[in-house]
Amino acid sequence: MKKPSLFRVERRPVVPGHVVVLVSILAIFAALVAAGIFFEAYGISAIRAYQLIAKGALGSKLGLAETVRRAIPLLLCGVGLTIAFRALFWNIGAEGQLLLGAVAAAGVALFSGLPDVLLLPAMFIAGFLAGALWGLIPAVLKARLGINDVITTLMMNYIAIYLVEWLIHGPWRGPSMRGFAYTDKFPSAAILPTISWTRIHWPTLLLGLVVAVLAYVLIARTRAGFEIRVVGENPEAARFAGISAFKTTLLVMIISGGLAGLAGVGEVAGIHRMLLGPTRISMGYGYTAIIVAWLARRNPLAVIVTSLLFGIIMSGGDVIRVSLGLPFQVINLFNGLILFFLIGSELLMHYRISFSFRRQ
Amino acid sequence: MGWETWFIVTLSRTLAYGTPLLLATLGEIYTERSGVLNLGVEGMMIMGAYAAFSTAYTTGSPWLGIVAGALVGGAFSLIHAFASITLKANQVISGLSLTMLGLGLSGVLGRGWEGRPLPASIPEITAPGLSKIPFLGPILFEGQNLIVYFSILLVVVMWYILYRTRIGIAVRAVGENPAAADSLGISVNKVRYLCTIVGGILAGMAGGYLSVAYRPAWTEGMTGGMGWIVIALTIFAFWNPAIGMLGAYLFAALYHLSFRLQPWVSPELLKAMPYAFAIIVLIAISRGTLHKKMGAPAALTLPYSRGEE
Amino acid sequence: MKTRFVLIAIVLLALVFGLSTLTVAKEYIPGSSLKVGFIYVGPIGDLGWTYAHDEARRICEDVFPWLETVYVESVPEGEEGLFIDKLILEEDCDVVFTTSFGFMDGTLDAAQRHPDKIFAHCSGFKRNANMMTYMADFYQIYYLNGLMAGALTKSHKVAYVGAFPIPEVKRHMDAFAIGVQEVDPEAELHVRWIYEWFSPTAAKEATEALIADGCDVFAFTEDSPTVVQVAAESGLPSFGHYSPMYNFGPEHVVSGQIAHWEAIYLDFLAKVYAGVYTARNLAEVNYWWLLKEGAVEIGAKPGMLINPVHEDELRAVTVNDPILGTINVWDLVMKRLEQMSDASMVVDPFQGPVYDRKLNLRVPQGLRMSEFELTTMEWAVEGIVGPWPGEP
Repeated sequence: MKKPSLFRVERRPVVPGHVVVLVSILAIFAALVAAGIFFEAYGISAIRAYQLIAKGALGSKLGLAETVRRAIPLLLCGVGLTIAFRALFWNIGAEGQLLLGAVAAAGVALFSGLPDVLLLPAMFIAGFLAGALWGLIPAVLKARLGINDVITTLMMNYIAIYLVEWLIHGPWRGPSMRGFAYTDKFPSAAILPTISWTRIHWPTLLLGLVVAVLAYVLIARTRAGFEIRVVGENPEAARFAGISAFKTTLLVMIISGGLAGLAGVGEVAGIHRMLLGPTRISMGYGYTAIIVAWLARRNPLAVIVTSLLFGIIMSGGDVIRVSLGLPFQVINLFNGLILFFLIGSELLMHYRISFSFRRQ
Repeated sequence: MGWETWFIVTLSRTLAYGTPLLLATLGEIYTERSGVLNLGVEGMMIMGAYAAFSTAYTTGSPWLGIVAGALVGGAFSLIHAFASITLKANQVISGLSLTMLGLGLSGVLGRGWEGRPLPASIPEITAPGLSKIPFLGPILFEGQNLIVYFSILLVVVMWYILYRTRIGIAVRAVGENPAAADSLGISVNKVRYLCTIVGGILAGMAGGYLSVAYRPAWTEGMTGGMGWIVIALTIFAFWNPAIGMLGAYLFAALYHLSFRLQPWVSPELLKAMPYAFAIIVLIAISRGTLHKKMGAPAALTLPYSRGEE
Repeated sequence: MKTRFVLIAIVLLALVFGLSTLTVAKEYIPGSSLKVGFIYVGPIGDLGWTYAHDEARRICEDVFPWLETVYVESVPEGEEGLFIDKLILEEDCDVVFTTSFGFMDGTLDAAQRHPDKIFAHCSGFKRNANMMTYMADFYQIYYLNGLMAGALTKSHKVAYVGAFPIPEVKRHMDAFAIGVQEVDPEAELHVRWIYEWFSPTAAKEATEALIADGCDVFAFTEDSPTVVQVAAESGLPSFGHYSPMYNFGPEHVVSGQIAHWEAIYLDFLAKVYAGVYTARNLAEVNYWWLLKEGAVEIGAKPGMLINPVHEDELRAVTVNDPILGTINVWDLVMKRLEQMSDASMVVDPFQGPVYDRKLNLRVPQGLRMSEFELTTMEWAVEGIVGPWPGEP
């Protein structure tokens, strides 16, 4: 670092909004070029692959509908994560919180015996509470005992996975499923309506959009939001100002876990209509939402856009699987590449690079 | 069957299944000790498994396969090192990305390698005299392979380096207090790079063990979440190689026993146990002197920049 | 800035709300070129279930010049509806095969959504005017494999590594156990479950656990050759599952089950091409194909019915059969195979009386099990040792 070099790297004090958007788009474009090299190596024309993706994910009704459908859980989880990340709580556990929401919804749908009109609202409330509870455990552990949040939230995901496995193989296995590991189908009053023939369960989508706006208002306009930001940006100052880090941590994780729980309710009540294997309930939405929230620069409103972007990637991945017969793991390749290019772009964003020998 | 044979078989299986866990855990311990959290273990392992299998299949030498797995794992970890050390990116994001990239890349490259039996896998050896030692003989010296012994040797070496040499002091200093380490003339970034690469090499080797020794064949996604168990084991080990061995073997024994004990114990409960254990361990050591001695490296996940901010 | 995000979202939503109908494609005209889509639950490289379906797909493409196929692998259950729509709307498929029990409801929904298209669902029980069901089942072959296992076991402990405790796997275990006990009435069938369709590590440790418990012959249901490899390493005989696994243990793979899904696919597609089956007459069509239809084969690999390495051992063990008299196991397997391959099917593994291990009479004297009973059976026969989730 002390060595003289051809170029100097200076830190930008504040990164203007347009730079963030521009550089992010450039990074994604660069990642697509890199993925294109893999396509070519695989003997597939990269241009044709991208045409297919664009047509499949945006240019066809079916693809567009799927893009939006995939964006719903990403939106709910993503908005919650922006709030947790604001308070510098690294919630890697949205996946598990989502699963707990699904479990609670299934429990209410199948066993509560509530009247039809109350069923769906009760499922959403139970889902929120279950997700929040799953999120509160690591929150308390961090706030009271200083235990690393990344690790506890990650471990809680696996416990949630095996909880679901145990339920569907054991006590909740549906008598009508001929011995297969699913619960019974939900009663029709516990199933969310969809838009026409699509699989867009619009009540959850609406909920997601409302929540995104509310979360934005919370962060930008309220006392609690101010406290969250102070705790995240300057814990020392927060302590002097008498802000309770404990309460703030609990609050952000109730919101973050609860919203992921709502996403879980939407998936089982809107798509699957039963509780089934954990990897089928979620397909990693909780992990992808981390990227969604991170790419949105922790802005809840921007999550609307970034969740759609990853909706496009997911449904675009489906297209090339069908049309080009590529292995399904190609989606992970895409996600991984895009992420690393975005990480790389951080450098471009936060640092101004000047090629000279001048000393300032 | 007598209790003695019962123990012998369980412990012998423990060594065989525990070895890949141990290798990768040792690597992650060093990585985290230097202050870098690498959640990409699963990605590095699966890349190692693919590289090892394809190399062993092409060259006919399983040992070359292991070497290739280690090299590819190390190369893969460089991506994380560059992102999280040089670019100071968020280590959580970078690690998750590495896992995705590894699963994706190995899935695409590995297409067509499935269903091929390996012509030669890492041989199991039985030491003629030693295997006759009562009890220990059949566990340690019958039907194990050289990588099992190598990993045990590695525990001793890596423990010694970490706690008894200047290198180890440097690694721990960088992970606990990088500013202080820097002021003592230790290159924080260099130490972190090296430790991350050590983690990658060992994860890649662990993947290679799976595809050319443990079950010699390639199948997509064959690491099946082992990388995440390694993350849990690293905590369980209190970032200490010796306890890491204990943890890896304990988990391996539990895994094997989940099949032996199936008539009596729910398999889901046994599978969830290492993760629950990891959390319980963190709670247990969160207070008092234990925390200082056995807690997480203080600078874990924190990038280091000199005199900035 | 923020209002712009909201605007973009609103525009995109409006677009979606605006989509009201899907264009309905034309119905298939018999005799024209046919496009068929396959939806697989696993990767085609699994060397198990999906691999076998994909082999059949390729055979169909080779046999019928008028046939074009497309497939999607590793489709998670719950996502089948989407991929069916894609195959029909974007790939113009006329026929769609879905190959997992979990795809049942999604396939039925899609069949109702696309009434002019033809659907076929594997291993389920729901049908529609344009949706048939099909299954190639192995239970007879497991019984034949069981006869050989009964002859080969020295410890009187035979092992079975099972994927999930569901009726299909339980049926196969029961048939296998019946075969084992016909030759060796003393023998037990030790069972372990791995709760995965595909998990090499779980299969390996389960096999090691069974070896440690003294088992010396192995059968399994899991989509990889792991059990065969592990047994061979210990010098123990095993039976391959789903695909030819001879190569993974040439000295130790005695025989096994090989699926020939193409038997069903070729028959069905030829009838669609000829106009026999249309999108209006499938409500009663159900292929439940066994040995006699050629949908399944017994063998270590195609053409090798029993590995010659084991011939002497099998010939050395004899059984007293009430009808066949004293007969060695090699001949018994050949005789039973011949009987079950014959259209009249004079023998069946589940020939009454059959008792479960709680000593309830399950199949009365002189009766057999119906297809419904076979596909919903949850009980374990006598001689099975180990956990049995969902046992009635």
